[in-house]
Amino acid sequence: MVNDSGQLYTMEGIAAGLVMLLTAYLILSTTSIYTPGDTHIPDMQLEQLGSDVLAMMDTPDTHGATSALETYVNTNNSTDFKTAFLGYCNAKAIGTDTLHMSANVTYRGDDDQIKEHLLVEPDETWTGRESAVRVTRWVQLDKQTSQMRPYGSRPRAVLVEVLLWRA
Amino acid sequence: MACMNEDGQWIVLMGLLVAVGLFFLALIINQSALVGQTTAEGVLEFPKNDIRDLRSEILDYYSRYERINNHGDLDDVKDDIVRISLERKNAVVHFWNGTPEEITIHYNNGVTVYDETVYHY
Repeated sequence: MVNDSGQLYTMEGIAAGLVMLLTAYLILSTTSIYTPGDTHIPDMQLEQLGSDVLAMMDTPDTHGATSALETYVNTNNSTDFKTAFLGYCNAKAIGTDTLHMSANVTYRGDDDQIKEHLLVEPDETWTGRESAVRVTRWVQLDKQTSQMRPYGSRPRAVLVEVLLWRA
Repeated sequence: MACMNEDGQWIVLMGLLVAVGLFFLALIINQSALVGQTTAEGVLEFPKNDIRDLRSEILDYYSRYERINNHGDLDDVKDDIVRISLERKNAVVHFWNGTPEEITIHYNNGVTVYDETVYHY
Protein backbone atom coordinates (compact mmCIF):
# COMPACT_ATOMS: atom_id res chain seq x y z
CA MET A 1 0.00 0.00 0.00
CA VAL A 2 1.28 3.42 -0.93
CA ASN A 3 1.49 5.91 1.86
CA ASP A 4 -0.03 9.19 0.62
CA SER A 5 0.10 11.20 3.82
CA GLY A 6 2.81 13.44 2.29
CA GLN A 7 0.27 14.99 -0.10
CA LEU A 8 -1.15 17.18 2.63
CA TYR A 9 2.30 18.50 3.47
CA THR A 10 2.89 19.30 -0.19
CA MET A 11 -0.36 21.23 -0.52
CA GLU A 12 0.33 23.07 2.71
CA GLY A 13 3.76 23.96 1.39
CA ILE A 14 2.33 25.38 -1.82
CA ALA A 15 -0.27 27.38 0.10
CA ALA A 16 2.39 28.73 2.43
CA GLY A 17 4.55 29.65 -0.55
CA LEU A 18 1.71 31.59 -2.15
CA VAL A 19 1.01 33.43 1.09
CA MET A 20 4.67 34.37 1.42
CA LEU A 21 4.87 35.58 -2.17
CA LEU A 22 1.72 37.66 -1.73
CA THR A 23 3.09 39.22 1.45
CA ALA A 24 6.41 40.03 -0.16
CA TYR A 25 4.61 41.58 -3.14
CA LEU A 26 2.39 43.70 -0.93
CA ILE A 27 5.31 44.96 1.14
CA LEU A 28 7.52 45.74 -1.85
CA SER A 29 4.78 47.45 -3.82
CA THR A 30 3.61 49.71 -1.00
CA THR A 31 7.07 50.88 0.00
CA SER A 32 8.61 53.57 -2.15
CA ILE A 33 11.26 56.11 -1.39
CA TYR A 34 10.40 59.67 -2.36
CA THR A 35 13.73 60.81 -3.71
CA PRO A 36 14.70 64.23 -5.06
CA GLY A 37 14.44 62.50 -8.41
CA ASP A 38 10.68 62.45 -7.93
CA THR A 39 10.21 65.92 -6.45
CA HIS A 40 11.50 67.71 -9.52
CA ILE A 41 8.90 66.21 -11.81
CA PRO A 42 6.03 68.56 -10.79
CA ASP A 43 8.45 71.51 -11.02
CA MET A 44 9.49 70.49 -14.51
CA GLN A 45 5.88 70.14 -15.62
CA LEU A 46 5.06 73.58 -14.25
CA GLU A 47 8.10 75.08 -15.96
CA GLN A 48 7.23 73.51 -19.27
CA LEU A 49 3.64 74.70 -18.97
CA GLY A 50 4.74 78.27 -18.28
CA SER A 51 7.27 78.24 -21.11
CA ASP A 52 4.66 76.98 -23.54
CA VAL A 53 2.16 79.61 -22.45
CA LEU A 54 4.71 82.38 -22.97
CA ALA A 55 5.61 80.93 -26.38
CA MET A 56 1.92 80.89 -27.33
CA MET A 57 1.47 84.50 -26.23
CA ASP A 58 4.58 85.48 -28.20
CA THR A 59 3.20 84.02 -31.41
CA PRO A 60 1.44 86.61 -33.63
CA ASP A 61 -1.96 85.77 -35.04
CA THR A 62 -0.88 86.56 -38.58
CA HIS A 63 2.46 86.92 -40.30
CA GLY A 64 4.04 90.27 -39.60
CA ALA A 65 1.59 91.19 -36.84
CA THR A 66 2.62 92.09 -33.30
CA SER A 67 2.30 89.30 -30.77
CA ALA A 68 0.07 89.70 -27.73
CA LEU A 69 3.04 89.40 -25.37
CA GLU A 70 4.94 92.14 -27.16
CA THR A 71 1.90 94.42 -26.98
CA TYR A 72 1.40 93.80 -23.26
CA VAL A 73 5.05 94.52 -22.51
CA ASN A 74 5.15 97.57 -24.75
CA THR A 75 2.04 99.14 -23.30
CA ASN A 76 2.83 98.01 -19.74
CA ASN A 77 -0.58 96.32 -19.64
CA SER A 78 -0.27 94.17 -16.52
CA THR A 79 -3.99 93.39 -16.17
CA ASP A 80 -4.44 91.90 -19.61
CA PHE A 81 -1.10 90.12 -19.42
CA LYS A 82 -2.06 88.47 -16.14
CA THR A 83 -5.54 87.54 -17.38
CA ALA A 84 -4.24 86.02 -20.61
CA PHE A 85 -1.38 84.15 -18.95
CA LEU A 86 -3.46 82.69 -16.11
CA GLY A 87 -6.27 81.92 -18.54
CA TYR A 88 -3.97 79.67 -20.56
CA CYS A 89 -2.27 78.20 -17.47
CA ASN A 90 -5.39 77.37 -15.53
CA ALA A 91 -7.34 75.90 -18.42
CA LYS A 92 -8.52 72.37 -17.68
CA ALA A 93 -11.07 70.07 -19.22
CA ILE A 94 -13.18 70.31 -16.04
CA GLY A 95 -12.97 73.33 -13.75
CA THR A 96 -9.85 75.47 -13.49
CA ASP A 97 -6.41 75.01 -11.98
CA THR A 98 -5.11 77.19 -9.14
CA LEU A 99 -1.92 78.71 -10.52
CA HIS A 100 -0.77 82.19 -9.59
CA MET A 101 1.90 84.39 -11.10
CA SER A 102 3.95 87.51 -10.89
CA ALA A 103 6.12 88.94 -13.61
CA ASN A 104 8.87 91.41 -14.16
CA VAL A 105 10.81 92.58 -17.16
CA THR A 106 14.58 92.83 -17.25
CA TYR A 107 15.95 95.40 -19.67
CA ARG A 108 19.10 97.34 -20.36
CA GLY A 109 18.50 100.99 -19.74
CA ASP A 110 19.93 103.83 -21.76
CA ASP A 111 22.58 104.30 -19.06
CA ASP A 112 23.84 100.73 -19.77
CA GLN A 113 22.56 99.40 -16.44
CA ILE A 114 20.51 96.19 -16.22
CA LYS A 115 17.18 97.16 -14.69
CA GLU A 116 14.02 95.39 -13.64
CA HIS A 117 10.49 96.61 -14.12
CA LEU A 118 7.67 95.01 -12.12
CA LEU A 119 5.02 94.12 -14.66
CA VAL A 120 2.58 92.02 -12.61
CA GLU A 121 2.52 92.24 -8.82
CA PRO A 122 2.13 88.95 -6.92
CA ASP A 123 -1.30 88.48 -5.38
CA GLU A 124 -2.12 87.72 -1.75
CA THR A 125 -1.23 84.02 -2.05
CA TRP A 126 2.45 84.88 -2.33
CA THR A 127 4.25 84.37 0.97
CA GLY A 128 7.78 83.79 -0.30
CA ARG A 129 7.68 80.15 0.75
CA GLU A 130 6.03 78.78 -2.37
CA SER A 131 8.02 76.37 -4.49
CA ALA A 132 7.67 78.66 -7.46
CA VAL A 133 9.32 78.09 -10.80
CA ARG A 134 10.69 80.83 -13.03
CA VAL A 135 9.95 80.86 -16.72
CA THR A 136 11.37 83.40 -19.10
CA ARG A 137 10.83 84.63 -22.61
CA TRP A 138 12.84 87.03 -24.73
CA VAL A 139 10.75 89.72 -26.35
CA GLN A 140 11.83 92.13 -29.07
CA LEU A 141 10.36 95.59 -28.86
CA ASP A 142 10.25 97.72 -31.98
CA LYS A 143 11.06 101.40 -32.00
CA GLN A 144 8.48 103.22 -29.92
CA THR A 145 6.82 106.46 -30.85
CA SER A 146 3.92 106.45 -28.41
CA GLN A 147 4.07 107.85 -24.89
CA MET A 148 3.67 104.47 -23.15
CA ARG A 149 7.22 103.22 -23.25
CA PRO A 150 8.54 102.18 -19.86
CA TYR A 151 11.77 100.87 -21.37
CA GLY A 152 12.81 103.69 -23.68
CA SER A 153 12.23 104.40 -27.33
CA ARG A 154 14.97 102.53 -29.19
CA PRO A 155 14.37 98.96 -30.44
CA ARG A 156 15.47 96.59 -27.70
CA ALA A 157 15.43 93.01 -26.49
CA VAL A 158 13.95 92.51 -23.03
CA LEU A 159 13.57 89.41 -20.89
CA VAL A 160 10.13 88.71 -19.46
CA GLU A 161 10.44 86.63 -16.28
CA VAL A 162 7.37 85.00 -14.79
CA LEU A 163 7.21 83.38 -11.37
CA LEU A 164 4.60 80.64 -11.35
CA TRP A 165 3.27 78.81 -8.32
CA ARG A 166 0.35 76.69 -7.23
CA ALA A 167 -1.67 77.85 -4.23
CA MET B 1 32.70 16.04 24.34
CA ALA B 2 32.11 13.44 21.71
CA CYS B 3 28.36 13.83 21.96
CA MET B 4 28.27 17.62 21.74
CA ASN B 5 25.14 18.93 19.95
CA GLU B 6 26.14 20.87 16.79
CA ASP B 7 22.64 21.71 15.43
CA GLY B 8 23.00 25.39 16.39
CA GLN B 9 25.70 25.88 13.77
CA TRP B 10 23.06 25.88 11.01
CA ILE B 11 21.07 28.57 12.79
CA VAL B 12 24.16 30.75 13.14
CA LEU B 13 25.07 30.19 9.50
CA MET B 14 21.57 31.04 8.26
CA GLY B 15 21.50 34.08 10.48
CA LEU B 16 24.72 35.23 8.86
CA LEU B 17 23.24 34.70 5.39
CA VAL B 18 20.15 36.73 6.27
CA ALA B 19 22.31 39.51 7.70
CA VAL B 20 24.40 39.69 4.54
CA GLY B 21 21.23 39.69 2.45
CA LEU B 22 19.75 42.55 4.46
CA PHE B 23 23.00 44.46 4.09
CA PHE B 24 22.80 44.25 0.32
CA LEU B 25 19.15 45.30 0.29
CA ALA B 26 20.01 48.33 2.44
CA LEU B 27 22.80 49.17 0.03
CA ILE B 28 20.38 49.15 -2.90
CA ILE B 29 17.91 51.42 -1.10
CA ASN B 30 20.74 53.76 -0.14
CA GLN B 31 21.94 53.94 -3.73
CA SER B 32 18.47 54.59 -5.10
CA ALA B 33 18.27 57.87 -3.18
CA LEU B 34 21.66 58.92 -4.54
CA VAL B 35 20.72 58.01 -8.08
CA GLY B 36 17.55 60.10 -7.82
CA GLN B 37 19.54 63.06 -6.53
CA THR B 38 22.07 63.10 -9.35
CA THR B 39 19.42 62.48 -11.99
CA ALA B 40 17.30 65.35 -10.69
CA GLU B 41 20.28 67.66 -10.60
CA GLY B 42 21.23 66.72 -14.12
CA VAL B 43 17.73 67.40 -15.40
CA LEU B 44 17.23 70.62 -13.44
CA GLU B 45 20.58 72.07 -14.42
CA PHE B 46 20.10 71.43 -18.09
CA PRO B 47 18.85 74.76 -19.51
CA LYS B 48 16.61 73.33 -22.19
CA ASN B 49 14.06 76.13 -22.16
CA ASP B 50 16.76 78.80 -21.88
CA ILE B 51 18.51 77.56 -25.00
CA ARG B 52 15.30 77.17 -26.99
CA ASP B 53 14.20 80.64 -25.96
CA LEU B 54 17.56 82.24 -26.75
CA ARG B 55 17.68 80.47 -30.07
CA SER B 56 14.27 81.70 -31.16
CA GLU B 57 15.18 85.20 -29.97
CA ILE B 58 18.34 85.29 -32.04
CA LEU B 59 16.51 84.02 -35.11
CA ASP B 60 13.91 86.71 -34.42
CA TYR B 61 16.69 89.26 -34.22
CA TYR B 62 17.87 88.32 -37.69
CA SER B 63 14.29 88.27 -38.99
CA ARG B 64 14.02 91.91 -37.92
CA TYR B 65 17.54 92.64 -39.15
CA GLU B 66 16.50 95.15 -41.81
CA ARG B 67 14.06 96.95 -39.58
CA ILE B 68 16.48 97.31 -36.68
CA ASN B 69 19.29 98.24 -39.04
CA ASN B 70 17.21 101.09 -40.43
CA HIS B 71 17.22 102.67 -37.00
CA GLY B 72 20.94 101.92 -36.57
CA ASP B 73 20.34 99.92 -33.38
CA LEU B 74 21.76 96.52 -34.35
CA ASP B 75 24.57 96.60 -31.83
CA ASP B 76 22.31 97.92 -29.08
CA VAL B 77 19.85 95.04 -29.40
CA LYS B 78 22.69 92.55 -29.62
CA ASP B 79 24.20 94.04 -26.45
CA ASP B 80 20.80 93.73 -24.76
CA ILE B 81 20.77 90.00 -25.38
CA VAL B 82 24.40 89.45 -24.36
CA ARG B 83 24.29 91.58 -21.22
CA ILE B 84 20.92 90.37 -19.92
CA SER B 85 21.94 86.74 -20.54
CA LEU B 86 25.01 87.27 -18.42
CA GLU B 87 23.12 89.13 -15.69
CA ARG B 88 19.98 87.01 -15.36
CA LYS B 89 20.96 83.62 -16.80
CA ASN B 90 24.62 83.43 -15.83
CA ALA B 91 25.31 82.54 -19.42
CA VAL B 92 27.96 83.74 -21.81
CA VAL B 93 26.22 84.29 -25.12
CA HIS B 94 27.84 85.23 -28.39
CA PHE B 95 26.30 85.24 -31.83
CA TRP B 96 27.21 86.58 -35.23
CA ASN B 97 26.41 86.05 -38.87
CA GLY B 98 28.85 85.25 -41.66
CA THR B 99 26.82 85.57 -44.80
CA PRO B 100 23.48 87.18 -43.97
CA GLU B 101 21.83 83.79 -43.65
CA GLU B 102 24.56 81.88 -41.81
CA ILE B 103 24.10 82.50 -38.09
CA THR B 104 26.40 81.12 -35.42
CA ILE B 105 25.21 80.90 -31.82
CA HIS B 106 27.41 80.22 -28.82
CA TYR B 107 25.99 79.61 -25.34
CA ASN B 108 27.88 78.62 -22.18
CA ASN B 109 26.50 78.77 -18.65
CA GLY B 110 29.40 76.94 -16.99
CA VAL B 111 27.62 73.59 -17.00
CA THR B 112 26.17 73.34 -20.46
CA VAL B 113 27.83 74.51 -23.66
CA TYR B 114 25.78 74.90 -26.80
CA ASP B 115 27.10 75.82 -30.23
CA GLU B 116 25.14 75.98 -33.40
CA THR B 117 25.48 77.29 -36.93
CA VAL B 118 22.10 77.65 -38.55
CA TYR B 119 20.97 78.80 -41.96
CA HIS B 120 18.02 81.09 -41.52
CA TYR B 121 16.00 82.57 -44.34
